[in-house]
Amino acid sequence: MIMLRSFLNALRGLPRPAVVTIGVFLALGLFGPYVTPHDPNAQDLLMAHTGISAEHWLGTDHLGRDTLSRLVASARTSLVGMSLVLVIALSVGVTIGTIAGFKRGWVEEVLMRIVDVGLAMPSLIVALAVIGIFGTGYWNMILALALAWWPGSARISRAVAVGVMNRPYIESLRVLGASPARIYFNHLLPTTIGAVLVYATAEAAAVALSIATLSFLGLGIQPPTPEWGQMLVDALPYLEEMPMQVVLPGLVLTAVVVGFNLLGESIALNRVPVPLPRRVLKQRRSIATTWRKATT
Amino acid sequence: MLEKTALLSVRNLVTRFKSVERGKWITAVDDVSIELAPGEMVGLVGESGCGKSTLGRSIVGLEKPQAGRIILDGVDLSTLSGRTLRERRRAIQYVFQDPYASLNDRQTIGEAIAEALIIIGVVDKVEQRRRIRLLLDQVGLPDALADRYPRELSGGQRQRVAIARSLAVEPKVLICDEPVSALDLSIRAQVMNLFLKLHKELQVACLFIAHDLALVRQATTRTYVMYLGKIIEEGSSGELYAQPSHPYTRALLGSIPTADPRIEASRAPPAIFGDIPSPTNPPSGCRFRTRCPDAMPACASDPPPAVELTPSHRARCVIAADLYEAKGGSVGRNHYAGA
Amino acid sequence: MTAPLLQARNLSVDLFTVRSALRPVDDVSYSVGQGETLAIVGESGSGKTVLNFAPIGLMPTGVVTDLHGSLRFEDIELVGLPAARMRRIRGGRIGTIFQDPMSALNPALRIGRQIAEVAELHLGMTSVQAEARALDLLKLVRMSDPESRLRQYPHELSGGLRQRAMIAIAVAAEPKLLIADEPTTALDVTVQAQIIALLKDLQKRLDTAIVLITHDMGVVASIASKVAVMYAGRIVEYGSVDQVLLEPRHPYSTGLIAALPRPEDKAGTLFRGLPGAPPIMGAPQPGCPFAPRCPLVVDYCTDVRPPLAPAPTGSAAACHVVNDVPHREMAHA
Repeated sequence: MIMLRSFLNALRGLPRPAVVTIGVFLALGLFGPYVTPHDPNAQDLLMAHTGISAEHWLGTDHLGRDTLSRLVASARTSLVGMSLVLVIALSVGVTIGTIAGFKRGWVEEVLMRIVDVGLAMPSLIVALAVIGIFGTGYWNMILALALAWWPGSARISRAVAVGVMNRPYIESLRVLGASPARIYFNHLLPTTIGAVLVYATAEAAAVALSIATLSFLGLGIQPPTPEWGQMLVDALPYLEEMPMQVVLPGLVLTAVVVGFNLLGESIALNRVPVPLPRRVLKQRRSIATTWRKATT
Repeated sequence: MLEKTALLSVRNLVTRFKSVERGKWITAVDDVSIELAPGEMVGLVGESGCGKSTLGRSIVGLEKPQAGRIILDGVDLSTLSGRTLRERRRAIQYVFQDPYASLNDRQTIGEAIAEALIIIGVVDKVEQRRRIRLLLDQVGLPDALADRYPRELSGGQRQRVAIARSLAVEPKVLICDEPVSALDLSIRAQVMNLFLKLHKELQVACLFIAHDLALVRQATTRTYVMYLGKIIEEGSSGELYAQPSHPYTRALLGSIPTADPRIEASRAPPAIFGDIPSPTNPPSGCRFRTRCPDAMPACASDPPPAVELTPSHRARCVIAADLYEAKGGSVGRNHYAGA
Repeated sequence: MTAPLLQARNLSVDLFTVRSALRPVDDVSYSVGQGETLAIVGESGSGKTVLNFAPIGLMPTGVVTDLHGSLRFEDIELVGLPAARMRRIRGGRIGTIFQDPMSALNPALRIGRQIAEVAELHLGMTSVQAEARALDLLKLVRMSDPESRLRQYPHELSGGLRQRAMIAIAVAAEPKLLIADEPTTALDVTVQAQIIALLKDLQKRLDTAIVLITHDMGVVASIASKVAVMYAGRIVEYGSVDQVLLEPRHPYSTGLIAALPRPEDKAGTLFRGLPGAPPIMGAPQPGCPFAPRCPLVVDYCTDVRPPLAPAPTGSAAACHVVNDVPHREMAHA
């Protein structure tokens, strides 16, 4: 409950375009496969590279697969991949970060130095190296990205946890004689997860982009699974004749990345005061006018 | 003096922190001994940075002292650890200065108090509800508040909730760290009176940590004065305020302005210099000598002895006996001296 | 007598935020003469800070204030003054001192530079002249070892010294008026006494008027010449310091002053105080805002707004009851 409340609390007052974009992305990710007009993997070589038509709203690719269906179905691939990466990375990161923030002392020192090493290497390089060692494949990609992403969430979790541990309400629980387990599981962990989930929104963009990048390079999602990076690379040889088939997946991917970034940024800046919007000011002023009438 | 009857006895406590400057230590509490009898109201006063809060926090285990012993009900807490320590130490509760931060803002008042009850093993929901109602009533709050969140409450109400929660674990000692200084003027009396009422009804001993001397004088029977990590004077409140025998206590009392403009018009600023020095590098000998109007060469060499003025009144100053006789004061004007 | 330095007439402040519309200051009038000190006393949410900082344009981002009525400083009307002209006055002829010097000083600049900056800006000095002026100012605020303090950063100073530096900045351009918001609240009593002595001394030497915002009656008694007691955005009592502190008339001020612990109070006796809690800032109320906590309340207090009525002797109080029965009041005194 505490977790949900802190998450919803942080989501208030976010930019509407970003919320709509991400909302559509999540909806398609969840229900996309049920609403696609065609089977995204159904080939029809006779229908290859048709333009926009009543049957294929956004045309077809070089194998005659329906582009709209593939774009929609890719949302699921991306969402599932992204969620898996973030869930694994956050679980590891939050566990290590909160333990460091809870225990302090040498435990914190050791854990945070490990995290520092992880942070010192660019995430995509780490992912490429892991795939290079273990070979391509869906799960290898997920694990490679999770491995690249946990140090970031560990560092944030530790910072949040240290802050929470110094709050008087945790101190007053210690004075009440609450067991360390109670403080850790009932107060520290839920509060930290709530706060870190918010930061994860900003990371989601980078993870989505990395999945597409790896797939583009042929190291991530393998054909025929529909995926935006995959679609891009498939359409690339036909750039001259069918530029739309390259542009469309690129646009969709950009929209998702920008949406998550905007969301993440505005969450990060949630506490920074902004000038009062003119529309709100007008409403407030009209309230004040009624006072003047009432008092005179 | 209270050796036999003391409920809480702190002996030669030392608490140090690592300084931001490399390799340096701040000795916030330096060889301090204090005692509390059962049901006694005791004050601990001093300026910010004197270590009074650190002393309180060390007693409840929020800071780890480097040396010294804390004896509660005849049991030395430093010999205990883990669960037994937590259960023993629970008899000492702490009331924080900031009522806005001492409650989890995502828990309702009822949940917060219930948690304290669960910690002491009251798991029955009906019993919990009965006790929550009782505790809220004890601190003068309606039990409808149990379903509210802290953000819906005023500062005074939150402080009452924090007190109610401390009482849930049936403490014998309450350590109150500036419990009313974050509250509005007109609310302070209400909360102070609550402490007096609880003290009378429940026989809890209280250690009031405060910088407001007038408040401490009226609420307590005994007062400790702390300066740069040391207790420099202790005594029954009445006597300490009427016959302050350490130049620092005199300066403190002489600095409190009264609400009477006629007195203030003729007041000379206290003959005390500057601010409290940094505790990383305290002055040698007597720690107050750098600000003391009566400092002499001898003060720099040795720490001053504790001069026993009456069996319950001691001051660490070479001229304490003279100051004790002089009553009122050369150092500024102390309007408490006359009373 | 010449016109007062600062005069507020029926000044109201409407304050708008993303969440709500409030009236923190509701129809107040007061004046401060040259060299005088007016203490504005009130609890949190009484509007005392908004009253002083909204007219000089010091409000946080995201908050818009509308001023009504009049506030004249020397011969300038501050209500409706363009921001650019306000900037020239603020820091120049009106100096400000804040409660927390640590957050009001720039942590990355040396003390000397921060003071010199004000002198450059408002007195048109060159940087060399301004540095010399900074040294003079540190001597003026009686800082020990001023030459080396000039080169120190705020974090290297103690709380009392920081507040002195802050005061030096406030008086750098020789202001006619100093607005001091709880200047001693964050300080210890021994340091507080020193800072009050310094403010009094500066006032005498520079002939500045001071508006002191505080909740501490002791500070009021030691420095103020006039007092305005605020409650829920209104001035409920206004008079000389002797009148208000020694013979308060409004039940709120009476209660506040009576609540202060006195030397003759026995240890262990109950503290005197007011019942209830101060109101939360909001829309203006029709009647007397103190009515719910007032011991003298009568039925029409909640409906009819009491005017701040001057009494033949004593302070002006905004209370139906004490103004209706002046005889009983005088017999009491």
